[in-house]
Amino acid sequence: MKKPITAVTMSALLLTSILSGCSNGENTPAKANEGTGAAAGGKPEVVTLSAHTTGIELTRVDNLVKAAEKLNEALKAEGKNMEVKVETKSFDGSWDDSVKQFMLASKSKKAPDIFAIGHEYVGMLSNGKYILPLDDLKNSQAYSDLFPVLWDSVTYQGKIWGIPQDTEARPVFYNKGILKKLGWTDQQINELPEKVKTGEFTLDDMTKVAEEAKSKALAQYGVVHRPTDGPDFQAMAYNFGAQLYDADANKIVFDKQAVQKQLQYYYDLAQKKLLPDNLTTMEFKNVHKIVVNEKTLFYYGGIWNVNNWASDAYHDTIGKVDAKWVNERFGMMLIPAAEKGGKPVTLSHPIVYTVSSGTKHPDLVNRLLEFVVDPKLQTKHNIKTFHLPITKAAAEDPTYKADATLGGVAYMSEYTTFLPNHESFNKYSGSIYKAIQAVELGKQTPESALKDLETQLKNDLGDGLIIKN
Amino acid sequence: MGNLKAAAEVPQTTINKPKPMAELLRKWGLPAVLLGPFLLLITVFFIAPVVLIIILAFTNMDSAMVWDLNGLLNFKKMASDPNLGEIMLNTVTYVGLTLALNIFLGLSLALLTTYFIQRETVGLVIRTIWMLPRISPPVVYVLLWLWFFDPSEYGVLNSLRALFDMSATNFLVDQPMTAVVLANGLIGASYGMIIFSSAIKSIPGDLFMAARVDGAAQRSIIFDIIIPAVRWPLMFVTLWQLLSLLTSYEYILLLTKGGPLIETEVMALYSYHKAFQSFEYGYGSAVALVLVVIALICTFIFWRIFGMDKMIKSSRVE
Repeated sequence: MKKPITAVTMSALLLTSILSGCSNGENTPAKANEGTGAAAGGKPEVVTLSAHTTGIELTRVDNLVKAAEKLNEALKAEGKNMEVKVETKSFDGSWDDSVKQFMLASKSKKAPDIFAIGHEYVGMLSNGKYILPLDDLKNSQAYSDLFPVLWDSVTYQGKIWGIPQDTEARPVFYNKGILKKLGWTDQQINELPEKVKTGEFTLDDMTKVAEEAKSKALAQYGVVHRPTDGPDFQAMAYNFGAQLYDADANKIVFDKQAVQKQLQYYYDLAQKKLLPDNLTTMEFKNVHKIVVNEKTLFYYGGIWNVNNWASDAYHDTIGKVDAKWVNERFGMMLIPAAEKGGKPVTLSHPIVYTVSSGTKHPDLVNRLLEFVVDPKLQTKHNIKTFHLPITKAAAEDPTYKADATLGGVAYMSEYTTFLPNHESFNKYSGSIYKAIQAVELGKQTPESALKDLETQLKNDLGDGLIIKN
Repeated sequence: MGNLKAAAEVPQTTINKPKPMAELLRKWGLPAVLLGPFLLLITVFFIAPVVLIIILAFTNMDSAMVWDLNGLLNFKKMASDPNLGEIMLNTVTYVGLTLALNIFLGLSLALLTTYFIQRETVGLVIRTIWMLPRISPPVVYVLLWLWFFDPSEYGVLNSLRALFDMSATNFLVDQPMTAVVLANGLIGASYGMIIFSSAIKSIPGDLFMAARVDGAAQRSIIFDIIIPAVRWPLMFVTLWQLLSLLTSYEYILLLTKGGPLIETEVMALYSYHKAFQSFEYGYGSAVALVLVVIALICTFIFWRIFGMDKMIKSSRVE
């Protein structure tokens, strides 16, 4: 009889230990409720809100901690015995992985109250009911001076789904030293951004200068772009007049003529040997090294790269380089217009605060987001990470205005475009990137890549696609 | 003794007091208790996921994670998917070549360390070295390959090429499938090596002695004695590795991410990319389901056509 009893006990123990490992922890009290009920003794009730972001720009969430201090003062002034604490976390991975984590966390009711993410994800997140609409905040006094165009970046199907946290410029960096060696005068070099602005210096001109620098062996590469899928490639589509999204029909548009030109541009760059071989398979750090070590004349970058180059040692001899070093060696201009006299473009990719639909304190979160737009907090983030302000008040901040790097690109906001917020845009973007990769690697011509792209998009997006011939 | 006593008591109890429940409990109680936890685990971690994938394959679940049944739409979409032809071809190439390399290397290593090298300690050292990648995390193992194939002049391969005045190459772009097959084939060989080694060691020594007395050549000993003796392990390892390779994608994901373009994208990786990169959980599951069917067909072929079912029948020697 002893054996069965032992067996039962052992099995029960084993089962308990295994199953306890499978527990999803839902029984643990939600953090947001921490401190509830403590108010009775005069001690303030502590409400903990969580805020998550991705990457090295921690001011996106640290500013929320500072904003909580202001919110607490306001709560105290209103006579409420309550204190808001913000717990922050930054995910060290890609934005795609970050949004995946947020969705899975939402399903297991562990999502952070505030989630900072690229604006193009709001369509996907709102469709899945992961986030709350924030139309009330649009009408709030705190956001009355937000640059109106930024509301477009968070609007999806007529509602506001996020609050812009920052915006940026994606300039073309040009190497002043290489242009000088080509015989350009200082005046010509400094006037280049203006010539691009007026449409006098076109995309073709840019390619020609790159060819000249390459043929004279003054630069190892003529042009370098990012080595992974990203918004920059769509900026080029806009430059060729593409329509990417039909907001009324809520469908993605495959603008064949513009996309053909987009593919032709990258194909030509590769055929003329202006790009590094296999650029689309490189690691990002190698692209930074190419730029910082002055091996390329032009680089399709982002203003925040100045922060990347100051944070990591990319230069072979100097290591980390500061903004002063960058400004001495590089100029920044808009993406030149495709046509003579045309309008140049850039693309902004605002990071936005979204609010989890699982938050237990939507009112407090909304109030917190009203405090975080404070111009001083914005400036702190903008100066540290090289981003542009989202409100007029922050654009007037003296510290921001005095910054040479940011001051030089602030005008680019007038030429900006955004990615569509459609939930399937990542599929479109991924397919376009594969087509660009195919033409750059010489595996396909722009014509055959376009044909395959059409088949692929029709299959992937089905009814969600409009084909514009 | 205890067992005999219990066996003697059973018929007596049955005759005197027929208690069906008690009898059932007595017969199945202990096996149920012992097997219960494991059956539960198998259900939760093996059967449930398969059932979920089957159901998911008939839904259009996307990032919103809503279970909306859509009939055969995912399979129709798969039929018109322009990438699928190339991906299937990639899968056949990847599985076929990796499997061949696995088995060939595994058998060669086993022969080397048990037949050609008779000193057990030397054989053991060689086998242990080959096991090292197996016990290191895939990320570390792949990192070593990435360093080896690094496109800069500092990469190991390019440093070696430089010795012969050859220009630097980007192997992962020029020959991505070769790189994937090499990385997978070398790590997979250790599994076959261990099984074949023990099988070769279990061949009675008399056979080798008799062969030598008869003047048999090495080639003859390998092909007429060793290979026929390890036929069943060979069959088992081939099937096992085949099924593993069909569903494995982690080394490809880490090494080439399926690229450049889709040159190293295999079915399992495509299923992963569709589900977790494009958030098409329904479509990703449909691809996975097709893969399950292919695996079942392969198993059936091995089982019936190559007569693997004979392997588990009782020995005819006795």
